[in-house]
Amino acid sequence: MEQNKDIIVKAENLSVHFPVKGGNPFNRKYVKAVSDVSLEIHRGETFGLVGESGCGKSTFANALLGILKPTDGKVIFEGQDLNALKPKQFKELRRNMQMIFQDPYSSLNPRFDLLEIIGEPMVIRGGYTPQEIEERVVEMLELVGLSREDLHRYPSDFSGGQRQRIGIARAIILNPSFLVCDEPVSALDVSVHAQILNLLDDIQKKSGLTYLFISHNLAVVKSICDHMAVMYLGKVMECGDTKKIYENTLHPYTKALLSAVLDIDVDNPRERIILQGDIPSPINPPAGCRFCQRCPNAMDICAKCEPKLVEIEPDHKIACHLYKECRPE
Amino acid sequence: MTEELMLKLRNLKVIFPNAMGVVKAVEGIDLDIHKGECVALVGESGCGKSVTSLAIMKLLNTPPALISVDELCVGGEEMKDYSNKKMQEVRGKKLSMIFQDAMSALNPVMTVGRQIQEVFLTQKDITKKEAKERAIKALELVGIPEPARRYNAFPHQLSGGLRQRVLIAMAFACNPELIIADEPTTALDVTIQAQVLDVLKRMQKNHNTALLLITHDLSIVANMADTICVMYCGKIVEKSPAYALFKKPYHPYTKGLLGAIPKLSDERHVFVQIPDSVPNPMHKPKGCYFHPRCAYATDKCRECMPPLRDVGDGRMVRCFHALEEV
Repeated sequence: MEQNKDIIVKAENLSVHFPVKGGNPFNRKYVKAVSDVSLEIHRGETFGLVGESGCGKSTFANALLGILKPTDGKVIFEGQDLNALKPKQFKELRRNMQMIFQDPYSSLNPRFDLLEIIGEPMVIRGGYTPQEIEERVVEMLELVGLSREDLHRYPSDFSGGQRQRIGIARAIILNPSFLVCDEPVSALDVSVHAQILNLLDDIQKKSGLTYLFISHNLAVVKSICDHMAVMYLGKVMECGDTKKIYENTLHPYTKALLSAVLDIDVDNPRERIILQGDIPSPINPPAGCRFCQRCPNAMDICAKCEPKLVEIEPDHKIACHLYKECRPE
Repeated sequence: MTEELMLKLRNLKVIFPNAMGVVKAVEGIDLDIHKGECVALVGESGCGKSVTSLAIMKLLNTPPALISVDELCVGGEEMKDYSNKKMQEVRGKKLSMIFQDAMSALNPVMTVGRQIQEVFLTQKDITKKEAKERAIKALELVGIPEPARRYNAFPHQLSGGLRQRVLIAMAFACNPELIIADEPTTALDVTIQAQVLDVLKRMQKNHNTALLLITHDLSIVANMADTICVMYCGKIVEKSPAYALFKKPYHPYTKGLLGAIPKLSDERHVFVQIPDSVPNPMHKPKGCYFHPRCAYATDKCRECMPPLRDVGDGRMVRCFHALEEV
């Protein structure tokens, strides 16, 4: 896929913190879901976001879409700062960014038929006749591999894979330029995974969509993403060109994640690094490097100060004290 | 393998009659598991793998389920006619189970230590104090840090990985002959999944237990199992030693499943896909259940169900065309 330098979405020092209920009101605690993340997503590419549950990937995506207000920092979508926009302008811009949800069972209204579900974005946008909407919905149905006969059927008539197709049709009906796929296949059966991933790929080839692909499956990310970022406890640990990250994995967390991926490759068993312990609570993230408590290579400096995210080679950034460049002066 | 046979299951059938018709969940399954062996039952949701495990544990409610089985031997003991009460005595001692969702498998208002202690108290004639010591030992064996402190923890105070370890400790507590693990790591993160599988594997090797691993994830199986049975629509479609299955799958369904899984070692590619989805269990197709999705289907496949035939090297496959094409 050819790539231009055109940046479609950019997060600048984005932080999202949630106040913890209760406790001393003068000493509020915050869940630091995302802290100080800067990323750029180029037009037409697939950007992978990986990490364990609770690392802030979904919060980050929601902040990019403007569903959550960032505590700090900016989101710039097609050159416009989302938070500086008036509600009306924001609604206008929103059309260009859509989302596919993880669970196709809870994200479709069971009392709507497909015409209503898929056509709803057009109804909200307004200015279309019912005929136009129906024509467009049928076009979308055919694009995702369903047919005109399904127009008046309800979500309960469809299997998980078909429901996810409906979710995709709804997301792309307004011709968005940016689509967030939040774990689009993890709720589906294994034999259906490939169908949905191939469908997403076809749509991208036809319309040049940009995807933000959130996943915890590193093998899938490797196969479909151009750029990727690895998050841990609300921080980016390593990001850049997917190929470079997989070929030259630098951060100990990425290494551990990769080695934890179970593979069906029986001929090349890899040595596995098994991380000890669990993700610490994001309420009181460890001082210094957030990964230092579980890191097999932790040093004294790791517990004291936070490593900077530094470009180690072109298009490949990491934040780890093992590399001199990341240490503060 | 000349080891003792720990599970011998012959012709297990489970059906669920309802107002709309009959759901044939499991249609005649044979399973053999030897001492110290790990057999994996792999399939998609709705293929009957969990029903099989519950039927072996005799945990299915009858009605609605109707179960028929020719032989159900665990550790040489024929259990097909056991009453509920008799099963209760055997569960935990001869066979036990690790469930998928540890939060709902554990009692939320009882400390995890007490729950493990309970297993010892019901199965063995020992004092409470001894049981407590053993429970702490069991927690230690599965690698739970500070076992004496965790003994007093409630399930919600533990993380997902630790809860799953507690379940493993409980299952191995009375050293049963057969353990059934139903999707033991599906709800966990990748790094935690690696930890838990590691513990499970180590415990199985140390205790030399027979393990029936039920999962939809072939990649877990590749690292754990000795023998793999692939299920589709209530029938076993392929049975093979693990290594051989990954090297050269015979059944088109297995081929499809393996092709759909991206590997870390290959380059960017288009995934091989199996068209359509699993048929409705009430309206299974005539002939081979897989033929509407199969690229090799012929008229013969549309007419009759192929038998599970032996193709040598300890492998069995339910397909007319498995060995024909290259």
